[in-house]
Amino acid sequence: MSVRHFDNIVVGGGVSGLTMTLLLAMSGRRVLLLEKGPRLGGSLARFRKDGVWFETGFHFTGGLHRHGVLDEILTLLGIRDAFAPVFLTDPAENRFYFEAEGRCFEHPVGLAAIRQRFKADFPAEAGAIDAYFDKVRSVCDRTPSLSLRDNTIAPPTLDEDYVSLDAVLKELTADPLLRGLLSGYAMCYGARPDEVSFANHARMACAFYESLAFVRNGGDAFIDAFREKFRGYDIEVRCGTTIAELADLRDHRAGRFLLSDGSEVTTDACILTIHPAEILRLLPEKARSRAFAARVDGFEPAAGFFALFAAIRPGCADPYPQAAITSLFPQADVNRLLDPAHDGEAALVIIKPPVPAGERAGICILEPNFVGQVAPWADSALGRRPEEYRQYKAERVAAISEHIFGTLPAYRDTLEILDAGSMLTFRDYLHNPDGSAYGIRQKLQQFNVIGRLPVHNLFAAGQSALLPGIIGAMMSSLIVGRAVLGKDEYGRFLEGAWR
Amino acid sequence: MTEQEIIEKTNRVFEEAFEIEAERLVPDAHIFSDLGLDSLDIVDLIVALQKSFGVKIRNEEAVRDIRTLADIYRFIATIKQDEAAKQG
Repeated sequence: MSVRHFDNIVVGGGVSGLTMTLLLAMSGRRVLLLEKGPRLGGSLARFRKDGVWFETGFHFTGGLHRHGVLDEILTLLGIRDAFAPVFLTDPAENRFYFEAEGRCFEHPVGLAAIRQRFKADFPAEAGAIDAYFDKVRSVCDRTPSLSLRDNTIAPPTLDEDYVSLDAVLKELTADPLLRGLLSGYAMCYGARPDEVSFANHARMACAFYESLAFVRNGGDAFIDAFREKFRGYDIEVRCGTTIAELADLRDHRAGRFLLSDGSEVTTDACILTIHPAEILRLLPEKARSRAFAARVDGFEPAAGFFALFAAIRPGCADPYPQAAITSLFPQADVNRLLDPAHDGEAALVIIKPPVPAGERAGICILEPNFVGQVAPWADSALGRRPEEYRQYKAERVAAISEHIFGTLPAYRDTLEILDAGSMLTFRDYLHNPDGSAYGIRQKLQQFNVIGRLPVHNLFAAGQSALLPGIIGAMMSSLIVGRAVLGKDEYGRFLEGAWR
Repeated sequence: MTEQEIIEKTNRVFEEAFEIEAERLVPDAHIFSDLGLDSLDIVDLIVALQKSFGVKIRNEEAVRDIRTLADIYRFIATIKQDEAAKQG
């Protein structure tokens, strides 16, 4: 069989791999995109249950407002017009309930408005609130990779990269409720405030403070936009295929790539947008140090979710805002709520996207979970779970339902649970190693695997490489894409894209 | 922590994490040209040293200036002194 050559191979068909593939192809490269699962999209994929659409991973996003970071990325890739954002505009559409304290806080849109609202909610803490938002803004202003117009390959680290969110908040305020409120978006990256750096918290939370949006057709809108755009370029997509083995390893380079479909290919550079544990598995022992393996083995999974997929009962009126995100915190200490060892009542995030008239809204209810909670059944596969696992699921569904009804009582008679999924469900449907929603946990003093790998024509990108979520995943591909293309070629791509 | 302890602990990192023979670990050994590390190994070296010494190392100028094993011994000694000063 002849060995085909591609300028680049991209491994992983999630949003990071899709972004990387398009970026390289738009720069004139011939690209092979490999996806292990049966179709592209990773956790962008939606599914349908009883006629209702549900998201698996993409629920809402920040940064879609004009010149916001996601707006700029999509514009750069030439696909912004394919998206119809539905922005949350009413503060009541983004509520945080602190149940033990009996308080509810609403989030208006934009840093300035949120700052004013929180100062009204916590009049004695106005100075702390100002200092917090000033610091968030300052970190983002000093993070050049957040500006796509800046062609910097290695962003400098900041002092705020070396201090935890929790340490900063404790310095600013003695009010535990305010600290809980300001750390609330930790649910959107799955790491505790005392283990995430203030800088990374700020980079992620800032996008949410600036704007929050649902997207019509959700994650499928991304998959469709990429597939459509791919048509104009030299891209070959192979699903159900991955790299089986790196061959002809010489001078820190892989000469040939043996694929799981039996074919062989060569390439100048291969970019892996897969989990770091999968990257480690791919590198032969002689091609990497024990230190590299120890670093990867030291990563811990971020939170995943136990999810309820629900809808309003036919014939019932929805008692709450139509398109909304509602977070329930049984206690204000987010460190405990996101601690893998936490055995008290968990937080919940209830996400209800807008739907076209006549359709039922798919309501996702997410409870942060950790791998330990499903460890007893970790060896089981989809469709072959033991009876105890089914009991565990039924118990979680009942407990989560009661939790919701306690704080949002009008749901008791109107909400219908259609399906449920544990971290194992997500693991096995989305083909990731542990079912975590955000890849590895982003911890202080941690050095992620990003950029060139010990086999030098291999590169790492993806949500575990930089920051979790759709923005972090896409951004990682732009940053690593700069390294693959080189500064000059990336510069020409930027010039062409903005013209 | 004595100078000798720093040397022994650092050398153990090179032996165990990078599989380099003990007899090659002399203070003047250049970590790239003599010991065969490459620039990509630096992050793993930092992670391994952090763990071994229980210190926090920032990926900054001082790290980028490291060329020899002796540079690492000095670098660790400085960090240890700074931490002791902070605690004292």
